[in-house]
Amino acid sequence: MISGTRKVIDKYFSVAGVASILLMAAALVVLLTPIIYRGSKAFIFRATVEHRRFMLEKFERGNRDDVEGEVAEARQAREPVYAMVDAFRKDVASMGFVERRKYAPLVDELDAGLTRLLGPWPGTQRPVLIREQYGPTRWDRAQVALHEVLYVEGYDYSDPTRMGTKVYTPRIEEFRGTSLEPLFGYLEEHLDDMLHPRLTAYWGFLFDPSMDAHMFGGIWPEVLGTVYLTLGAMLFAVPFGVIAAIYLVEYAGEGHLIGLLRVCVSTLAGVPSIVFGLFGLAFFINTMHVSPSKSVLAGSLTLALLVLPTIIRASEEAVRAVPHTYREAALGLGASKWRATVRVILPAALPGILTGIVISMGRAAGETAPIIFTAAVSVGKPLALWQTLTEATPALPWNIYNLCTEHEAVDEIRHVQFGMVLALVALVLLLNLSAIVLRARLMGKLRGSAS
Amino acid sequence: MSLFGQLLLLLITSTSAVAVLLIVVFIVKDAVVFFKMCGFKEFLTSTRWYPTGEPAEFGTLAIIVGSGLVTLGSAAFAVPLGVVAAMCLSDLLPFSVRQIVKPVIEVLASIPSVAYGFFALVILAPMMQEQGGRLLAIATWAAGAPAALLFSLLMAEVLLRPCSESQRRRFRWPTVLVLGVAALILVYFAAGAAGRLQIPSGANALNVSIILGVMVLPTVVSVSEDALQAVGRELREAGYACGATRAEMMFRIVLPAASSGICAAVILGIMRAVGETMVVWMASGNAAQIPKPWFNLLEPVRTLTATIAGDMGEADHVTGSARYHVLFAMAACLLTVSFICNLASEYVMRRQRRKLHGG
Repeated sequence: MISGTRKVIDKYFSVAGVASILLMAAALVVLLTPIIYRGSKAFIFRATVEHRRFMLEKFERGNRDDVEGEVAEARQAREPVYAMVDAFRKDVASMGFVERRKYAPLVDELDAGLTRLLGPWPGTQRPVLIREQYGPTRWDRAQVALHEVLYVEGYDYSDPTRMGTKVYTPRIEEFRGTSLEPLFGYLEEHLDDMLHPRLTAYWGFLFDPSMDAHMFGGIWPEVLGTVYLTLGAMLFAVPFGVIAAIYLVEYAGEGHLIGLLRVCVSTLAGVPSIVFGLFGLAFFINTMHVSPSKSVLAGSLTLALLVLPTIIRASEEAVRAVPHTYREAALGLGASKWRATVRVILPAALPGILTGIVISMGRAAGETAPIIFTAAVSVGKPLALWQTLTEATPALPWNIYNLCTEHEAVDEIRHVQFGMVLALVALVLLLNLSAIVLRARLMGKLRGSAS
Repeated sequence: MSLFGQLLLLLITSTSAVAVLLIVVFIVKDAVVFFKMCGFKEFLTSTRWYPTGEPAEFGTLAIIVGSGLVTLGSAAFAVPLGVVAAMCLSDLLPFSVRQIVKPVIEVLASIPSVAYGFFALVILAPMMQEQGGRLLAIATWAAGAPAALLFSLLMAEVLLRPCSESQRRRFRWPTVLVLGVAALILVYFAAGAAGRLQIPSGANALNVSIILGVMVLPTVVSVSEDALQAVGRELREAGYACGATRAEMMFRIVLPAASSGICAAVILGIMRAVGETMVVWMASGNAAQIPKPWFNLLEPVRTLTATIAGDMGEADHVTGSARYHVLFAMAACLLTVSFICNLASEYVMRRQRRKLHGG
C-alpha cells in the first residue's frame, strides 16, 4: 500500500472510532432530553384555577379564601359565555323547524366542547366522575380544549388516491350571522381570565395518590410499590448473594462442582426477564402459594432471583480484590477463618459489595417483565407494610407501560406518563450515579493505601 | 469452621443452581403439556397464530421469525458500532476521556427497558410515521458517505496495484476522486429512494431494532473492550515495531487475537436482544406475520417475549388450556436459545483465555 493511503485510512479509523463514541453519547442525550424536559412538566407547569380548586376540594391544600375568590373571579369572566349560549338557545327555540334542526345539534356540540374547556355548567348536577367535575387543570390541556371549541375537525377525501387528510374549519362559520358569533372571539381573548393560568410547582405529583385513573393527583402508589419491590428483592438477594460470593472466593476450591455452580450463575444471568415472570407465576404463586394471587412478596422473590447473579459477581469481585495481606494478618493474629472473613475481609470488601447492591437495586426497580404476572396491577392504593405479603401493587415500570398503551385517554395524560418515566429514570440513575461515585472513592482509597 | 458450617455455605451458594433447575423444570413441565396436546409440527412450521380461534391455531413460525428479525436488525446496528467504539475506547482515547465515556456507557445500560420502550412508542414511532422517508434518507447519507469514502480509498489501492510506484503516486488521488464521486452518486440515489419510502406505521421492526441496538450496545462495547484489553501490550508493540499504523495494528493483529472475546460480546448482545420484552411489546406493532420480503424491517412484527407478556394476562384465567401452555412452550424456546448462547459464549471465552495465556 502507498503510505499516503495508509495514513488516510489510519485517520479514517480514528475518526470512525470517535464518531461511534459520540453517536453513543448522542443516543443518550436524545433519549434523556425529551424524558427530562417533558417529564419536568408533570412537576412544574402552568396550572389553571381548576387545579387550585381541585387541590382545595380533594386534598384540602391552599388558602380557601384565595381560591374561592379566584374561582368567583373566573366565574365572572365566564358569565358572558354562558349568557350568550343560553340566549342563543332561546333564539333557536323560537326559530322555524328547518333552522332548529340545523342549529340544535350544533349548539349541543358546542356545549360539550365548552364543558371540556370550562368544566360543568353552573347550576347543573355535580357529575360522578372526577374528570367531569373540573375543567382542564393544565394550561396546555386548556389550549387543546380551546382549539377543539374554535375549530371543527374533519377529513378531506377530495384526492381519491391518498388517505383522507385532517382539516380544521373554524367553528365560527357554523354560527355566522347568529347571536353566537362574538362568542368565539370572546373565548380566545378572555381564556386567561376564565382559567387564571399560573406557573405552579406541584411536588405533590410524587407523593399524592392518583385519582380517577391518573387523570388527577400524583403517582405515590407507583413510587411506593417500586420501593417495596426493590427493597424486598434486596432483602432476599443480598444475604444469599454475598454469602455465595464469600463461599466461592474464600472456601470453594476449583472442583467440578464449583465449576458447575459458576456456570449456573452465568446461566441464571442469561435467562430472559419474561421467563422469570412466567416462572414466578408458575412456581411462587401457583405451586408454592406464597400468596393467594399476585403480591409484592411474590414479585420481590422473582426479582431477587433476577438480580442474584449480579450481586454474586459484584461481591465476588469485591472480596477477591481485598489484598492477601489482610487475610494473612488476621489469620496470623489467631483469628479463625470465619472470624477473619467476617471481621476483616467483609468490611474491607464492603464498598465494592455496596456498589454491586446499588446497581442491582437500579436493575430491580426498572424491570417490568418479571412483575407483570407476579406483582403489578394497574390501579391500586398505596400499601401498608404488612399488606405487601398478600396484596398486589402498582409499580412505576408496569404503570408506564399500562398508561401509554392501555389507558382510555392516552393523549390527555401524556404529562403523567412522562412524569412517571422521569421519576423511574431519575431513581435508577441516582442509584447508578451513587454506585459510580462509591466506586471512584473506593478506587481512590485502594490507590491511597497502596502508596 | 466446622464441616456443617461449610455445608451450609455451600447450600446457600447453590441457590442459583437450584433456581436454574427449578426454572427449567417448571417451564419445561408446562411446555410438555402443550406439545402433548398439539404436537411440535404445527408449533414450529405454521404461521397461523389464532389462539382464541375455533379451533385455536398455535403456529409460532411467524413469531419466531419476528424475534429473529429484530435481533438481527439490532445486531446489524450494534455490532459494528460497538466493536469500533470498543477499539476506540481501548486504544485511541486518552485515559481521562475514557473515565468520562465509561459512565456514559453504564448509564446507557442502566436505563430501564420500559423507558426505552416508552421512548420508542411515544417519541420515535410518531416521528417515523410522519417523516420516515426523510429520516431514512438522512440515515442512508450518514452510513453511506463514510462507506463511499472508504470504498474509494481501498478500491483505488486495488486498481493501481499492477502499476509502478511513480504511476501509482500520480494516479492515486484522481482515481480516488473518480471512484468517490461515483460512490457518492450511488449513495445519492439510494438516499433518494429511501426518502420516497412511506412508513405506514411507526411501530415496526426497524424502530424496535434501533432501540434494541442502543440497549445492546453497552454489553457489546464493554465485553469487546475487555477482550481487546486482554490482548497484551507485547502484541501491540510488536505490530508498531513492524511499521504498522494504528489502524493496521488494530485490524490485523489485535482484532484477530481478540476475535473470540468479541464473538462472546456479540453472543451476549444477541442474548440480551432476544430476551428483551418491554421494547418489542410496546413498539413492534405485535402483528404475527412474516414480513414480505422477510428482511423488510418497515413492517410490524411480533416476538416471542411480547407474545408471552401480552397473552398471559388473558390466558391466566384458563390455566390448563393449550393457550396457557403454549406460552410456556415459547418460554422454553427462549430458554433454549439463552442456554445455547450462554454455553457458546462460555466456550468462546475459555478458548480466548487459553489462546492468550496458555499458548
